Amino acid sequence: MIDLNAYLGPFAFRRLRYRTAAGLLRLMDRAKIEQALVSSAAAITYRNAQAGNEELAAEAAPHRGRLLPCAVLNPAYAGWRDDLAICHDEFGMRAVRLYPRWHQYRLTDPECVALVQAAAARGWLITIPVRVEDRRQQSWLVDIPNVDYDEIAALLRRCPDAKFALLNGSGYTGSLLGRAHNGLPPNYVVDVALMTAEMTNEIGQLVRNLGEERVVFGTGIPFHYPEPAVVKLEILDVPAEVKRRIASGNARRLLGL
Amino acid sequence: MVDQAMPRSISISRRALLAAPAAAAAAAAPSWPAGVEVIDAHSHLAHRANPRWAEDDRALVDAADKLGIAQLACSILPAERAATPDVFRQCNDWVADGMRRFPGRILGYAFVNPGFVREAAAEVRRCVEQRGFIGVKLYNTYFADEPVLNPLAELCVELRVPLLHHAGRPSWLSPPQPRISDGSHLSALAARYPELMLICAHICGGGDWEWQIKALRRAPSVYLDLAGSVADEGVVEMAARILGADRLLFACDLSMTASVGRIRGAELPEADKRKILGQNFARILARRGTR
Repeated sequence: MIDLNAYLGPFAFRRLRYRTAAGLLRLMDRAKIEQALVSSAAAITYRNAQAGNEELAAEAAPHRGRLLPCAVLNPAYAGWRDDLAICHDEFGMRAVRLYPRWHQYRLTDPECVALVQAAAARGWLITIPVRVEDRRQQSWLVDIPNVDYDEIAALLRRCPDAKFALLNGSGYTGSLLGRAHNGLPPNYVVDVALMTAEMTNEIGQLVRNLGEERVVFGTGIPFHYPEPAVVKLEILDVPAEVKRRIASGNARRLLGL
Repeated sequence: MVDQAMPRSISISRRALLAAPAAAAAAAAPSWPAGVEVIDAHSHLAHRANPRWAEDDRALVDAADKLGIAQLACSILPAERAATPDVFRQCNDWVADGMRRFPGRILGYAFVNPGFVREAAAEVRRCVEQRGFIGVKLYNTYFADEPVLNPLAELCVELRVPLLHHAGRPSWLSPPQPRISDGSHLSALAARYPELMLICAHICGGGDWEWQIKALRRAPSVYLDLAGSVADEGVVEMAARILGADRLLFACDLSMTASVGRIRGAELPEADKRKILGQNFARILARRGTR
């Protein structure tokens, strides 16, 4: 399996037990995850996110076969173009994670669109975590809502040639993003981390509505246990070949592996 | 302590509960530790204002089959949580019907509004003594430590059934549930009635779970149900470390894959997982002999 939704390093508001490369690999081994796209958890709250990318690059370097480093870039902060180039040329990163609510910008702001276009021009995957934590448990210091689906849809339209992965989302079927024939460019995938495979079975609905190539495996480790996502995939009522695509095939295509 | 002996007689409906759970459930989820019958200590059947209630109930049991969950302890909550007696009786009638439709699979909690003191007590007696319900479910109409709950707490002690209480510690920014109970409210009720089998609901249901676990540390009679959609790594291990595995109950509150995955992933001895998955709740049910 390939996990498009993984992190390294400390998070400001809760201890992550498996925040080191060794720890993350232990979780991955336990859940039989071969490779993971990892970004810095610290960069979510660092003012200068690039410092988190530097820490991540050093931590992941000895494990490049399994830990695929992903930049966190903030288009509202000075020097993101330089940071993008360094992350690409020096750190070998091939994906970016955007935190518009934590970093206080809109996905449709001109600088964000410029960042997405610059990353897409380098062939990067653009990943957007809809949330980091359940809002009900956020610290008294912050009030960070989920990323709005209409705002995401506007960015998808604005950048049809970019490729996006939406992480830690649910309830897509109640929005434009999860509907069949929704008029949006088919330039995005969604991960299974927080969706259901039972009862309402949102994952199954999205496989039907968007196509089996549009759903990917993601866990949220080490914020989350990896096993809930594994269980979702286990009980998902789709043919084995579709499960293989969700588990790894779609991610390989997106990351050019 | 409360008398833990089995009651001398068990009603017909309670005998039905003793029927072997569906073979389909026992055959599923080979990853569970051997020798444990998994019980979901906190679930819900669908309210019948939902036109798809029958399909949704079926889907719940089907999901339990897939995940190796033998039994689901269910209540039905009305939209108006400050329910009148007519409303909570109807919800409980629907639960009783669910117990008949899925024999051996559905265990019933009686949902009542403690503000209707006499009617709530009568309804709990009707459900437990005549219909084989296994416990009482309370929501957020009152804090758990408000005196209005005392008669129900005393009745649960008398009937030897657990009291499952809605709980959470949401951040101050969250939409308000003005009377949601947290671990401190439940601890206060437990201190008043140490023989009460009090269950704090859904530690993974949103809110600061670290706060909740710490608040329950010194309330040794309070059980903690592990239900909810939040899949935060380490929650089960922290609960086991601070409260002890004997106080933890596997539960889903309809978030079934998250809840199953948390237990599967938790780094605990197999013996502790067996306790959490079913043995602890079976011990609670044995107090009255409902299982």
